[in-house]
Amino acid sequence: MSAQGGTIDAHGDTAPLSGRRAVVLGRLALAALLLIAWKLGTGLAGPLYVADPILVVQRIVADTLSGELIRNTLVTLRLSAIGFALGCAFGIAVPFGLRRLPRLTAAVEPYIMASVGVPKYALVPLFILWFGIDDAPKLWLVGLLVFYVVFIAVFAGIRSVPRGLIDMARVAGAGEARIAREVIWNALLPFFFAALKIALPRAVSAAIIGEFLVGNAGLGYMIESSRENFDTTGVFAGIVAATALVLAINGVLALIDRRVNRWRPVEREMVI
Amino acid sequence: MGEPLLEIKALAKRFAERSGREPSSWVIRDLSFSVQEGEFLTIIGPSGAGKTTLLNMIAQIDAATGGEVRFGSETAPIGDPKALRPGLACRIGYVTQDDHLLPWRTTMQNVLFPLSVQGRLNAETRARAEMLISTVGLSGFEDHYPHELSGGMRKRAALIRTLVYDPPVILMDEPFGALDAQTRTQLQADLLRLWNLGRKTIIFVTHDIGEAIALGDRTLVLSRPPSRMAGEHAITIPRPRDVRDIMTHPEFAALYQRIRAQVQ
Repeated sequence: MSAQGGTIDAHGDTAPLSGRRAVVLGRLALAALLLIAWKLGTGLAGPLYVADPILVVQRIVADTLSGELIRNTLVTLRLSAIGFALGCAFGIAVPFGLRRLPRLTAAVEPYIMASVGVPKYALVPLFILWFGIDDAPKLWLVGLLVFYVVFIAVFAGIRSVPRGLIDMARVAGAGEARIAREVIWNALLPFFFAALKIALPRAVSAAIIGEFLVGNAGLGYMIESSRENFDTTGVFAGIVAATALVLAINGVLALIDRRVNRWRPVEREMVI
Repeated sequence: MGEPLLEIKALAKRFAERSGREPSSWVIRDLSFSVQEGEFLTIIGPSGAGKTTLLNMIAQIDAATGGEVRFGSETAPIGDPKALRPGLACRIGYVTQDDHLLPWRTTMQNVLFPLSVQGRLNAETRARAEMLISTVGLSGFEDHYPHELSGGMRKRAALIRTLVYDPPVILMDEPFGALDAQTRTQLQADLLRLWNLGRKTIIFVTHDIGEAIALGDRTLVLSRPPSRMAGEHAITIPRPRDVRDIMTHPEFAALYQRIRAQVQ
Protein backbone atom coordinates (compact mmCIF):
# COMPACT_ATOMS: atom_id res chain seq x y z
CA MET A 1 0.00 0.00 0.00
CA SER A 2 2.78 2.39 0.89
CA ALA A 3 4.63 1.64 -2.34
CA GLN A 4 1.51 2.44 -4.32
CA GLY A 5 0.92 5.64 -2.34
CA GLY A 6 4.56 6.62 -2.84
CA THR A 7 4.39 6.35 -6.62
CA ILE A 8 1.28 8.45 -6.77
CA ASP A 9 2.84 10.95 -4.40
CA ALA A 10 5.94 11.23 -6.55
CA HIS A 11 3.87 12.07 -9.60
CA GLY A 12 1.60 14.37 -7.62
CA ASP A 13 3.59 17.47 -8.60
CA THR A 14 3.06 17.05 -12.31
CA ALA A 15 -0.55 15.86 -12.09
CA PRO A 16 -3.24 18.53 -12.40
CA LEU A 17 -4.78 17.32 -9.14
CA SER A 18 -3.34 18.47 -5.84
CA GLY A 19 -1.03 15.92 -4.18
CA ARG A 20 -3.50 15.17 -1.43
CA ARG A 21 -6.35 14.43 -3.82
CA ALA A 22 -4.10 12.20 -5.87
CA VAL A 23 -3.27 10.19 -2.75
CA VAL A 24 -6.96 9.85 -1.84
CA LEU A 25 -7.84 8.78 -5.39
CA GLY A 26 -4.96 6.32 -5.33
CA ARG A 27 -6.21 4.81 -2.12
CA LEU A 28 -9.74 4.46 -3.50
CA ALA A 29 -8.38 2.83 -6.64
CA LEU A 30 -6.38 0.43 -4.52
CA ALA A 31 -9.48 -0.42 -2.47
CA ALA A 32 -11.38 -1.13 -5.69
CA LEU A 33 -8.54 -3.36 -6.88
CA LEU A 34 -8.56 -5.29 -3.63
CA LEU A 35 -12.33 -5.80 -3.85
CA ILE A 36 -12.00 -7.03 -7.43
CA ALA A 37 -9.23 -9.41 -6.36
CA TRP A 38 -11.45 -10.64 -3.53
CA LYS A 39 -14.33 -11.22 -5.95
CA LEU A 40 -12.01 -13.08 -8.35
CA GLY A 41 -10.76 -15.12 -5.39
CA THR A 42 -14.34 -16.13 -4.61
CA GLY A 43 -14.74 -17.34 -8.19
CA LEU A 44 -11.49 -19.33 -8.09
CA ALA A 45 -11.71 -20.88 -4.62
CA GLY A 46 -15.47 -21.23 -4.33
CA PRO A 47 -17.81 -19.54 -1.84
CA LEU A 48 -17.15 -22.16 0.85
CA TYR A 49 -13.54 -20.92 1.18
CA VAL A 50 -13.77 -17.25 0.18
CA ALA A 51 -17.13 -15.58 0.76
CA ASP A 52 -18.56 -13.32 -1.91
CA PRO A 53 -17.83 -9.69 -0.94
CA ILE A 54 -21.30 -8.53 -1.96
CA LEU A 55 -22.91 -11.19 0.24
CA VAL A 56 -20.59 -10.19 3.09
CA VAL A 57 -21.68 -6.57 2.79
CA GLN A 58 -25.34 -7.66 2.67
CA ARG A 59 -24.80 -9.85 5.74
CA ILE A 60 -23.14 -6.98 7.64
CA VAL A 61 -26.03 -4.68 6.78
CA ALA A 62 -28.63 -7.29 7.76
CA ASP A 63 -26.89 -8.22 11.02
CA THR A 64 -26.42 -4.56 11.88
CA LEU A 65 -30.11 -3.86 11.29
CA SER A 66 -31.14 -6.85 13.40
CA GLY A 67 -28.83 -5.62 16.19
CA GLU A 68 -26.99 -8.97 16.25
CA LEU A 69 -23.68 -7.57 14.99
CA ILE A 70 -23.74 -4.59 17.33
CA ARG A 71 -24.58 -6.81 20.29
CA ASN A 72 -21.68 -9.16 19.52
CA THR A 73 -19.31 -6.26 18.89
CA LEU A 74 -20.25 -4.70 22.22
CA VAL A 75 -19.63 -8.01 24.01
CA THR A 76 -16.13 -8.20 22.52
CA LEU A 77 -15.51 -4.49 23.16
CA ARG A 78 -16.55 -4.82 26.79
CA LEU A 79 -14.34 -7.86 27.33
CA SER A 80 -11.35 -6.19 25.65
CA ALA A 81 -11.90 -2.95 27.56
CA ILE A 82 -12.10 -4.53 31.01
CA GLY A 83 -9.15 -6.84 30.33
CA PHE A 84 -7.21 -3.94 28.88
CA ALA A 85 -7.95 -1.68 31.86
CA LEU A 86 -6.82 -4.37 34.29
CA GLY A 87 -3.64 -5.23 32.35
CA CYS A 88 -2.86 -1.56 31.90
CA ALA A 89 -3.38 -0.68 35.56
CA PHE A 90 -1.00 -3.41 36.72
CA GLY A 91 1.39 -2.71 33.84
CA ILE A 92 1.77 0.85 35.13
CA ALA A 93 1.54 0.18 38.88
CA VAL A 94 4.14 -2.59 39.07
CA PRO A 95 7.06 -0.67 37.47
CA PHE A 96 6.21 2.46 39.46
CA GLY A 97 6.21 0.36 42.63
CA LEU A 98 9.51 -1.30 41.70
CA ARG A 99 11.12 2.08 40.97
CA ARG A 100 11.61 2.79 44.65
CA LEU A 101 12.88 -0.72 45.40
CA PRO A 102 16.04 -1.23 43.35
CA ARG A 103 17.11 -4.36 45.23
CA LEU A 104 13.73 -6.06 44.83
CA THR A 105 13.77 -5.03 41.15
CA ALA A 106 17.18 -6.62 40.65
CA ALA A 107 15.92 -9.79 42.32
CA VAL A 108 12.65 -10.21 40.40
CA GLU A 109 13.69 -8.77 37.02
CA PRO A 110 15.02 -12.03 35.51
CA TYR A 111 11.83 -13.84 36.58
CA ILE A 112 9.60 -11.19 35.07
CA MET A 113 11.61 -11.20 31.85
CA ALA A 114 11.51 -14.99 31.68
CA SER A 115 7.74 -14.97 32.19
CA VAL A 116 7.44 -12.68 29.16
CA GLY A 117 8.48 -15.71 27.12
CA VAL A 118 5.56 -17.89 28.25
CA PRO A 119 3.10 -18.10 25.32
CA LYS A 120 0.01 -16.63 26.97
CA TYR A 121 -2.42 -18.43 24.65
CA ALA A 122 -0.99 -21.73 25.87
CA LEU A 123 -2.27 -20.85 29.32
CA VAL A 124 -5.92 -20.65 28.25
CA PRO A 125 -6.72 -24.29 29.16
CA LEU A 126 -5.30 -23.62 32.63
CA PHE A 127 -7.33 -20.44 32.95
CA ILE A 128 -10.46 -22.40 32.04
CA LEU A 129 -9.53 -25.03 34.61
CA TRP A 130 -8.87 -22.43 37.29
CA PHE A 131 -11.43 -19.72 36.57
CA GLY A 132 -14.33 -21.55 34.89
CA ILE A 133 -16.02 -20.74 31.61
CA ASP A 134 -17.44 -17.28 32.26
CA ASP A 135 -15.58 -14.06 31.48
CA ALA A 136 -12.78 -14.76 33.96
CA PRO A 137 -10.45 -16.91 31.77
CA LYS A 138 -10.89 -14.51 28.84
CA LEU A 139 -10.15 -11.52 31.06
CA TRP A 140 -7.00 -13.22 32.32
CA LEU A 141 -5.84 -13.81 28.76
CA VAL A 142 -6.53 -10.24 27.60
CA GLY A 143 -5.19 -8.75 30.82
CA LEU A 144 -1.93 -10.71 30.73
CA LEU A 145 -1.22 -9.87 27.08
CA VAL A 146 -1.80 -6.17 27.75
CA PHE A 147 0.08 -6.26 31.04
CA TYR A 148 3.35 -7.45 29.52
CA VAL A 149 3.36 -4.93 26.69
CA VAL A 150 2.56 -2.02 29.02
CA PHE A 151 4.85 -3.26 31.77
CA ILE A 152 7.91 -3.52 29.52
CA ALA A 153 7.29 -0.08 27.98
CA VAL A 154 6.72 1.65 31.32
CA PHE A 155 9.65 -0.17 32.93
CA ALA A 156 11.97 0.92 30.11
CA GLY A 157 10.38 4.38 30.08
CA ILE A 158 11.08 4.95 33.77
CA ARG A 159 14.72 4.04 33.27
CA SER A 160 15.03 6.37 30.30
CA VAL A 161 13.93 9.50 32.18
CA PRO A 162 16.91 11.88 32.14
CA ARG A 163 18.53 11.90 35.58
CA GLY A 164 19.01 15.67 35.30
CA LEU A 165 15.26 16.32 35.07
CA ILE A 166 14.67 14.39 38.29
CA ASP A 167 17.53 16.17 40.09
CA MET A 168 16.21 19.52 38.88
CA ALA A 169 12.75 18.71 40.24
CA ARG A 170 14.20 17.56 43.59
CA VAL A 171 16.28 20.71 43.97
CA ALA A 172 13.20 22.77 43.12
CA GLY A 173 11.43 21.14 46.05
CA ALA A 174 9.36 18.38 44.44
CA GLY A 175 8.61 15.33 46.61
CA GLU A 176 8.83 11.75 45.33
CA ALA A 177 5.09 11.49 44.57
CA ARG A 178 5.17 14.72 42.61
CA ILE A 179 8.26 13.59 40.68
CA ALA A 180 6.56 10.32 39.77
CA ARG A 181 3.39 12.04 38.65
CA GLU A 182 4.85 15.02 36.86
CA VAL A 183 8.34 14.21 35.64
CA ILE A 184 8.44 10.45 35.20
CA TRP A 185 4.88 9.98 34.00
CA ASN A 186 5.12 12.73 31.38
CA ALA A 187 8.56 11.63 30.23
CA LEU A 188 7.38 8.09 29.63
CA LEU A 189 4.08 8.98 27.93
CA PRO A 190 5.57 8.51 24.43
CA PHE A 191 6.71 5.00 25.49
CA PHE A 192 3.28 4.35 26.97
CA PHE A 193 1.44 5.35 23.82
CA ALA A 194 3.77 3.27 21.68
CA ALA A 195 2.84 0.35 23.94
CA LEU A 196 -0.87 1.11 23.63
CA LYS A 197 -0.63 0.99 19.85
CA ILE A 198 0.47 -2.63 20.22
CA ALA A 199 -1.59 -3.55 23.27
CA LEU A 200 -5.03 -2.34 22.13
CA PRO A 201 -5.27 -4.43 18.93
CA ARG A 202 -3.85 -7.35 20.90
CA ALA A 203 -6.51 -6.96 23.53
CA VAL A 204 -9.22 -7.28 20.88
CA SER A 205 -7.47 -10.25 19.24
CA ALA A 206 -7.11 -11.99 22.59
CA ALA A 207 -10.77 -11.36 23.41
CA ILE A 208 -11.79 -12.87 20.06
CA ILE A 209 -9.61 -15.93 20.56
CA GLY A 210 -11.04 -16.30 24.05
CA GLU A 211 -14.50 -16.22 22.54
CA PHE A 212 -13.57 -18.95 20.04
CA LEU A 213 -12.93 -21.21 22.98
CA VAL A 214 -15.37 -20.19 25.71
CA GLY A 215 -18.81 -18.61 25.85
CA ASN A 216 -21.73 -17.98 23.56
CA ALA A 217 -21.49 -14.33 22.52
CA GLY A 218 -19.07 -11.88 20.96
CA LEU A 219 -17.39 -11.53 17.58
CA GLY A 220 -15.15 -14.53 18.23
CA TYR A 221 -18.15 -16.70 19.02
CA MET A 222 -19.94 -15.34 15.94
CA ILE A 223 -17.01 -16.19 13.66
CA GLU A 224 -16.47 -19.63 15.14
CA SER A 225 -20.14 -20.64 15.16
CA SER A 226 -20.49 -19.45 11.55
CA ARG A 227 -17.56 -21.66 10.59
CA GLU A 228 -19.13 -24.64 12.36
CA ASN A 229 -22.26 -24.09 10.24
CA PHE A 230 -20.21 -23.80 7.00
CA ASP A 231 -21.39 -20.18 6.85
CA THR A 232 -18.24 -18.62 5.36
CA THR A 233 -20.08 -15.37 4.70
CA GLY A 234 -20.68 -15.08 8.45
CA VAL A 235 -16.98 -15.75 9.14
CA PHE A 236 -15.97 -12.95 6.77
CA ALA A 237 -18.60 -10.59 8.18
CA GLY A 238 -17.20 -11.22 11.67
CA ILE A 239 -13.64 -10.57 10.50
CA VAL A 240 -14.68 -7.31 8.86
CA ALA A 241 -16.51 -6.22 12.02
CA ALA A 242 -13.51 -7.13 14.19
CA THR A 243 -11.19 -5.17 11.89
CA ALA A 244 -13.53 -2.18 12.02
CA LEU A 245 -13.56 -2.39 15.81
CA VAL A 246 -9.75 -2.36 16.01
CA LEU A 247 -9.51 0.52 13.52
CA ALA A 248 -12.06 2.53 15.51
CA ILE A 249 -10.12 1.94 18.74
CA ASN A 250 -6.87 2.95 17.01
CA GLY A 251 -8.54 6.11 15.76
CA VAL A 252 -9.62 7.10 19.27
CA LEU A 253 -6.15 6.30 20.57
CA ALA A 254 -4.49 8.45 17.89
CA LEU A 255 -6.74 11.37 18.87
CA ILE A 256 -5.84 11.03 22.56
CA ASP A 257 -2.16 10.62 21.69
CA ARG A 258 -2.16 13.79 19.62
CA ARG A 259 -3.82 15.70 22.44
CA VAL A 260 -1.72 14.40 25.30
CA ASN A 261 1.61 14.45 23.46
CA ARG A 262 1.12 17.66 21.52
CA TRP A 263 4.28 19.10 23.12
CA ARG A 264 6.39 16.61 21.24
CA PRO A 265 8.57 18.21 18.59
CA VAL A 266 8.15 15.36 16.11
CA GLU A 267 4.89 15.55 14.21
CA ARG A 268 5.56 12.70 11.81
CA GLU A 269 4.48 9.34 13.08
CA MET A 270 3.22 6.09 11.76
CA VAL A 271 -0.53 6.10 11.18
CA ILE A 272 -2.20 2.74 11.32
CA MET B 1 32.64 39.90 57.53
CA GLY B 2 30.70 37.61 59.80
CA GLU B 3 30.23 33.87 59.78
CA PRO B 4 30.34 32.63 56.16
CA LEU B 5 27.04 31.41 54.71
CA LEU B 6 28.61 28.41 53.04
CA GLU B 7 31.76 26.66 54.10
CA ILE B 8 33.64 23.89 52.32
CA LYS B 9 36.33 22.17 54.37
CA ALA B 10 38.85 19.59 53.17
CA LEU B 11 36.29 18.37 50.63
CA ALA B 12 37.13 15.13 48.84
CA LYS B 13 35.29 13.16 46.18
CA ARG B 14 35.89 9.99 44.28
CA PHE B 15 33.24 8.08 42.41
CA ALA B 16 32.16 4.60 43.43
CA GLU B 17 34.15 1.79 41.93
CA ARG B 18 32.59 -0.45 39.35
CA SER B 19 33.53 -4.02 38.67
CA GLY B 20 35.98 -4.47 35.84
CA ARG B 21 37.32 -0.95 36.17
CA GLU B 22 40.34 0.62 37.74
CA PRO B 23 39.46 2.11 41.11
CA SER B 24 38.50 5.69 40.31
CA SER B 25 40.96 8.36 41.28
CA TRP B 26 40.18 11.43 43.38
CA VAL B 27 38.25 14.09 41.48
CA ILE B 28 38.49 16.61 44.31
CA ARG B 29 40.82 16.41 47.25
CA ASP B 30 41.40 18.72 50.16
CA LEU B 31 39.41 21.64 48.76
CA SER B 32 38.46 24.39 51.20
CA PHE B 33 36.78 27.75 50.73
CA SER B 34 33.94 29.77 52.11
CA VAL B 35 31.29 32.04 50.66
CA GLN B 36 29.87 35.13 52.33
CA GLU B 37 26.22 36.04 52.16
CA GLY B 38 25.45 38.21 49.13
CA GLU B 39 28.76 37.37 47.47
CA PHE B 40 29.10 36.64 43.75
CA LEU B 41 31.79 33.97 43.66
CA THR B 42 33.10 32.69 40.35
CA ILE B 43 35.01 29.42 40.13
CA ILE B 44 37.24 28.65 37.21
CA GLY B 45 39.20 25.55 36.37
CA PRO B 46 40.27 23.32 33.50
CA SER B 47 37.70 20.85 32.17
CA GLY B 48 37.56 17.70 34.24
CA ALA B 49 38.48 19.66 37.37
CA GLY B 50 35.30 18.51 39.08
CA LYS B 51 33.52 21.86 38.93
CA THR B 52 30.12 20.29 38.24
CA THR B 53 30.78 17.63 40.88
CA LEU B 54 31.55 20.40 43.38
CA LEU B 55 28.25 22.16 42.67
CA ASN B 56 26.36 18.84 42.79
CA MET B 57 27.75 18.26 46.27
CA ILE B 58 26.79 21.76 47.44
CA ALA B 59 23.29 21.28 45.97
CA GLN B 60 23.20 17.88 47.70
CA ILE B 61 22.38 15.85 44.63
CA ASP B 62 25.70 14.05 45.05
CA ALA B 63 27.42 13.01 48.27
CA ALA B 64 30.99 13.95 49.14
CA THR B 65 33.46 11.18 49.99
CA GLY B 66 35.13 13.17 52.75
CA GLY B 67 35.43 16.60 54.29
CA GLU B 68 32.62 18.94 55.18
CA VAL B 69 29.99 20.99 53.35
CA ARG B 70 28.29 23.35 55.76
CA PHE B 71 25.40 25.63 54.84
CA GLY B 72 24.36 27.91 57.69
CA SER B 73 24.24 25.57 60.65
CA GLU B 74 23.59 22.41 58.62
CA THR B 75 26.18 20.02 57.26
CA ALA B 76 25.64 17.78 54.28
CA PRO B 77 25.85 13.99 54.85
CA ILE B 78 29.14 12.49 53.75
CA GLY B 79 29.24 9.29 51.71
CA ASP B 80 25.52 8.57 52.05
CA PRO B 81 23.52 9.55 48.96
CA LYS B 82 20.23 8.46 50.57
CA ALA B 83 20.53 11.04 53.36
CA LEU B 84 21.01 13.93 50.92
CA ARG B 85 18.53 16.78 50.95
CA PRO B 86 18.61 18.14 47.38
CA GLY B 87 18.35 21.92 47.31
CA LEU B 88 18.25 21.85 51.12
CA ALA B 89 14.60 22.85 51.51
CA CYS B 90 14.57 25.16 48.48
CA ARG B 91 17.31 27.40 49.88
CA ILE B 92 19.89 26.41 47.27
CA GLY B 93 18.87 27.00 43.67
CA TYR B 94 20.81 25.31 40.87
CA VAL B 95 21.05 26.42 37.24
CA THR B 96 22.65 23.44 35.56
CA GLN B 97 24.71 23.28 32.40
CA ASP B 98 21.83 21.73 30.47
CA ASP B 99 18.68 23.74 30.92
CA HIS B 100 16.59 20.73 32.04
CA LEU B 101 13.37 22.44 31.05
CA LEU B 102 10.44 20.01 31.15
CA PRO B 103 9.66 19.48 27.45
CA TRP B 104 5.92 19.05 28.03
CA ARG B 105 5.59 22.36 29.86
CA THR B 106 5.44 25.75 28.18
CA THR B 107 7.87 28.52 29.13
CA MET B 108 5.45 29.94 31.70
CA GLN B 109 4.60 26.50 33.08
CA ASN B 110 8.31 25.71 33.39
CA VAL B 111 9.00 28.94 35.24
CA LEU B 112 6.08 28.23 37.56
CA PHE B 113 7.17 24.61 38.17
CA PRO B 114 9.14 25.23 41.42
CA LEU B 115 6.38 27.44 42.82
CA SER B 116 3.80 24.82 41.95
CA VAL B 117 5.67 21.94 43.62
CA GLN B 118 6.37 24.12 46.65
CA GLY B 119 2.67 24.99 46.91
CA ARG B 120 3.43 28.67 46.53
CA LEU B 121 1.40 29.49 43.42
CA ASN B 122 -0.59 32.64 44.04
CA ALA B 123 -1.29 35.98 42.41
CA GLU B 124 1.84 37.52 43.88
CA THR B 125 4.26 34.79 42.76
CA ARG B 126 2.60 34.64 39.33
CA ALA B 127 3.13 38.37 38.96
CA ARG B 128 6.77 37.87 39.90
CA ALA B 129 7.11 35.16 37.23
CA GLU B 130 5.61 37.49 34.63
CA MET B 131 7.94 40.28 35.71
CA LEU B 132 10.98 38.01 35.36
CA ILE B 133 9.81 36.74 31.97
CA SER B 134 9.57 40.27 30.63
CA THR B 135 12.87 41.29 32.30
CA VAL B 136 14.78 38.65 30.34
CA GLY B 137 12.88 39.33 27.12
CA LEU B 138 10.76 36.20 26.96
CA SER B 139 7.46 38.08 26.66
CA GLY B 140 5.42 36.62 23.84
CA PHE B 141 7.02 33.20 24.33
CA GLU B 142 5.12 32.23 27.49
CA ASP B 143 3.11 29.57 25.66
CA HIS B 144 5.97 28.14 23.62
CA TYR B 145 7.34 24.71 24.37
CA PRO B 146 11.11 24.42 25.02
CA HIS B 147 11.80 22.91 21.59
CA GLU B 148 10.28 26.02 20.04
CA LEU B 149 12.78 28.31 21.82
CA SER B 150 16.33 29.20 20.83
CA GLY B 151 19.27 28.08 22.97
CA GLY B 152 19.58 31.52 24.57
CA MET B 153 15.88 31.66 25.37
CA ARG B 154 16.01 28.25 26.99
CA LYS B 155 18.90 29.41 29.19
CA ARG B 156 16.93 32.48 30.19
CA ALA B 157 13.90 30.38 31.03
CA ALA B 158 16.03 28.01 33.13
CA LEU B 159 17.64 30.97 34.90
CA ILE B 160 14.40 32.65 35.91
CA ARG B 161 12.87 29.29 36.86
CA THR B 162 15.42 29.34 39.69
CA LEU B 163 15.14 33.06 40.42
CA VAL B 164 11.35 32.91 40.65
CA TYR B 165 11.30 31.14 44.01
CA ASP B 166 14.00 33.37 45.41
CA PRO B 167 16.47 30.90 46.96
CA PRO B 168 19.12 32.75 49.03
CA VAL B 169 21.94 30.81 47.29
CA ILE B 170 22.11 30.10 43.57
CA LEU B 171 24.60 27.72 41.97
CA MET B 172 25.30 28.17 38.29
CA ASP B 173 27.20 25.63 36.21
CA GLU B 174 28.52 27.23 33.02
CA PRO B 175 24.98 28.33 32.25
CA PHE B 176 26.05 30.31 29.19
CA GLY B 177 28.71 27.88 28.00
CA ALA B 178 27.16 26.66 24.77
CA LEU B 179 26.00 30.03 23.46
CA ASP B 180 27.39 32.38 20.83
CA ALA B 181 29.40 35.38 22.05
CA GLN B 182 26.62 37.88 21.40
CA THR B 183 23.91 36.00 23.33
CA ARG B 184 26.37 35.19 26.04
CA THR B 185 27.26 38.83 26.69
CA GLN B 186 23.58 39.73 26.69
CA LEU B 187 22.79 37.03 29.24
CA GLN B 188 25.72 38.03 31.43
CA ALA B 189 24.35 41.59 31.45
CA ASP B 190 20.86 40.24 32.24
CA LEU B 191 22.25 38.19 35.09
CA LEU B 192 24.13 41.14 36.62
CA ARG B 193 21.01 43.27 36.37
CA LEU B 194 18.89 40.60 38.05
CA TRP B 195 21.55 40.10 40.70
CA ASN B 196 21.49 43.83 41.44
CA LEU B 197 17.73 43.66 42.06
CA GLY B 198 18.30 41.55 45.16
CA ARG B 199 21.84 40.51 45.92
CA LYS B 200 21.76 36.75 46.16
CA THR B 201 24.71 34.60 47.02
CA ILE B 202 25.86 33.17 43.72
CA ILE B 203 28.44 30.50 43.00
CA PHE B 204 29.12 30.62 39.29
CA VAL B 205 31.29 28.01 37.63
CA THR B 206 32.86 28.73 34.26
CA HIS B 207 35.89 27.90 32.17
CA ASP B 208 35.99 31.39 30.65
CA ILE B 209 38.40 33.68 32.50
CA GLY B 210 36.80 36.83 31.07
CA GLU B 211 33.39 35.75 32.30
CA ALA B 212 34.76 34.93 35.76
CA ILE B 213 36.23 38.44 36.05
CA ALA B 214 33.26 40.24 34.53
CA LEU B 215 30.71 38.72 36.90
CA GLY B 216 32.43 37.93 40.19
CA ASP B 217 33.36 39.66 43.41
CA ARG B 218 35.97 36.99 43.87
CA THR B 219 37.35 34.25 41.63
CA LEU B 220 38.64 30.88 42.77
CA VAL B 221 40.93 28.90 40.50
CA LEU B 222 40.84 25.11 40.71
CA SER B 223 43.76 22.91 39.73
CA ARG B 224 43.70 19.86 37.51
CA PRO B 225 42.26 16.81 39.29
CA PRO B 226 42.54 15.91 42.05
CA SER B 227 41.23 19.44 42.34
CA ARG B 228 42.29 21.76 45.04
CA MET B 229 42.60 25.50 45.26
CA ALA B 230 45.17 26.91 42.83
CA GLY B 231 44.48 30.57 43.51
CA GLU B 232 42.06 33.15 44.79
CA HIS B 233 41.53 36.64 43.36
CA ALA B 234 39.44 39.55 44.60
CA ILE B 235 37.87 41.29 41.60
CA THR B 236 38.03 44.95 42.54
CA ILE B 237 36.50 46.31 39.34
CA PRO B 238 33.70 48.54 40.68
CA ARG B 239 30.01 47.83 40.07
CA PRO B 240 27.80 48.44 38.24
CA ARG B 241 29.89 46.89 35.49
CA ASP B 242 29.27 46.90 31.79
CA VAL B 243 30.13 43.38 30.63
CA ARG B 244 30.51 44.58 27.04
CA ASP B 245 33.33 46.95 27.94
CA ILE B 246 34.84 45.07 30.85
CA MET B 247 37.94 44.19 28.81
CA THR B 248 38.87 47.85 28.49
CA HIS B 249 38.97 48.33 32.25
CA PRO B 250 42.56 48.99 33.40
CA GLU B 251 42.48 46.22 36.03
CA PHE B 252 41.14 43.59 33.63
CA ALA B 253 44.35 42.73 31.80
CA ALA B 254 46.41 42.24 34.95
CA LEU B 255 43.72 40.07 36.57
CA TYR B 256 43.32 38.08 33.39
CA GLN B 257 47.04 37.35 33.22
CA ARG B 258 47.32 36.38 36.87
CA ILE B 259 44.39 33.98 36.61
CA ARG B 260 45.54 32.66 33.25
CA ALA B 261 48.89 31.73 34.76
CA GLN B 262 47.12 29.55 37.33
CA VAL B 263 44.64 27.82 35.01
CA GLN B 264 46.44 24.88 33.47
